[in-house]
Amino acid sequence: MGITIDDLTVTFKNKVTVINHANLEIPKGIFGLLGENGAGKTTLMRVLTTVLSLTSGSVTLDGILYSEGNYEKIQRKIGYLPQEIDLYPSLTVQECLEYMGDLSGISKPIYKERIGYYLEKTSLSQHRSKKIKQLSGGMKRRVGLVQALLNEPEFLIVDEPTTGLDPEERIRIRNLLVDFSENRTVLFSTHVVEDLVATCNQLAVMKKGEFVYSGKMKELLEQAKGHVWICKAEDEIMARELEKNYHVSSKQYVGDELQIKLISEMPPGIECSSCEVTLEDAYIYITNKEL
Amino acid sequence: MKYEVKISLMVYKIAYAVFFAVMLSLVRGVTYSYEIGIALEAPMAILAVSFCADTYTQEITSKRSEIQRLWSMKKRIYSIYRRLVIQEIFLLFVAVIGYGLFLIFQNPRAFDIGQNGSENEIYQFLVYFVSIAITLGFWGLLSNFLSCLFRNMWWGIGGCLILWLITNSSVGDRYLGVWNLFSYTFRNVEKGNDFRWICGKIVCICIGMTVVAILPKIIEKRG
Repeated sequence: MGITIDDLTVTFKNKVTVINHANLEIPKGIFGLLGENGAGKTTLMRVLTTVLSLTSGSVTLDGILYSEGNYEKIQRKIGYLPQEIDLYPSLTVQECLEYMGDLSGISKPIYKERIGYYLEKTSLSQHRSKKIKQLSGGMKRRVGLVQALLNEPEFLIVDEPTTGLDPEERIRIRNLLVDFSENRTVLFSTHVVEDLVATCNQLAVMKKGEFVYSGKMKELLEQAKGHVWICKAEDEIMARELEKNYHVSSKQYVGDELQIKLISEMPPGIECSSCEVTLEDAYIYITNKEL
Repeated sequence: MKYEVKISLMVYKIAYAVFFAVMLSLVRGVTYSYEIGIALEAPMAILAVSFCADTYTQEITSKRSEIQRLWSMKKRIYSIYRRLVIQEIFLLFVAVIGYGLFLIFQNPRAFDIGQNGSENEIYQFLVYFVSIAITLGFWGLLSNFLSCLFRNMWWGIGGCLILWLITNSSVGDRYLGVWNLFSYTFRNVEKGNDFRWICGKIVCICIGMTVVAILPKIIEKRG
């Protein structure tokens, strides 16, 4: 069980197709969603949370078809943290979560207990009496995540939950999501590749409204194996030439030499060696292959 | 309820509403006490329009509405109604304070024109109170409704402003007469026992009730 997306197309009123005949299986556990800006990730999540209606195709959640008649049933199973959200600035963290917990239909003793638990887990306990407007961007993000977890949803959708967090907090949030994903489905969209490496076994890569890859992370890395090269550029002119002809995933000065990591189907016509593939390399490789 | 009070009555909103009432009572001249209600009704309607326009649209602009989609409609709607009630009560309070400020700052003359002494100060105030309560309720509800319909508070404010300009004019008075939304303002004050202006307020109540009944559908459809 989980989510099944079958031939999904979403077209806006202005005739722009944002998701184009996409197919995807999202199983239980954490599932990563990676893609450039404007790839259609947020639109997909808005469809899954019933904010947007699909134009054609079908989506099912645990066998329940996404249709207006079933929206209420589906909505009860979902928790959502949108990419951009401004919580109530005049309320304190505790008040804001209590208000949202109450409106989401959870009984008072339960939401009070959960608020305490998740505030502790997100290191916000000592900030519970602060007003939302007094919080930093990262803290607001964490409060947003707590509200998404309050009803302990079967399916949690988080859009860039680690934006604005410091490294320690990011690790904490990632671990929280991993713990939470036991027997549940968590769809984790992010630009931060390290977050996916640390949390997901499976992921999908989106480009221009289509899935260019979906499956195990290991297999994605496997696909890029043999296509990532390390070269040494003798001078700036050569480095610029390489950047023009290949997808450069990193540049680094090692001593006096400029070391360049590039992605290429075939070995570049200069002295270079094959190297270990990171998810970032694999992502660049897969998104730049011909669709 | 206490959280809705904090959400609906932000400090800046309280400040501009009170400032508005104080300024109006200082700037708008009245000679007789019966003019206070006339001086207050139309401007207070504008205040209600701007005050209530973002009752729900603040959820849209902040993207909280995307989360609220996951909650039951009943809870969401009750929350909006509670916010509206809180705002309307506050506005009514401001309207009453405004009336008092007119009396203090301008010390208008009492003008007893009733044949049986019915036009005394308390009676005048009570008529004003009922009328302004209906006016504030109507314009607040309409502004929130239009804002929700177009998912933008400026549409709510703009739409109400057009209606306000039409009804609060000699054209509106001529064509709508006692059915005008501002019938209290245009009533004949020399005929204290002529209550036909109530018709205009009944129109306000009817439209207001319709708006209250339709709002859940709008929120459900437009999100």
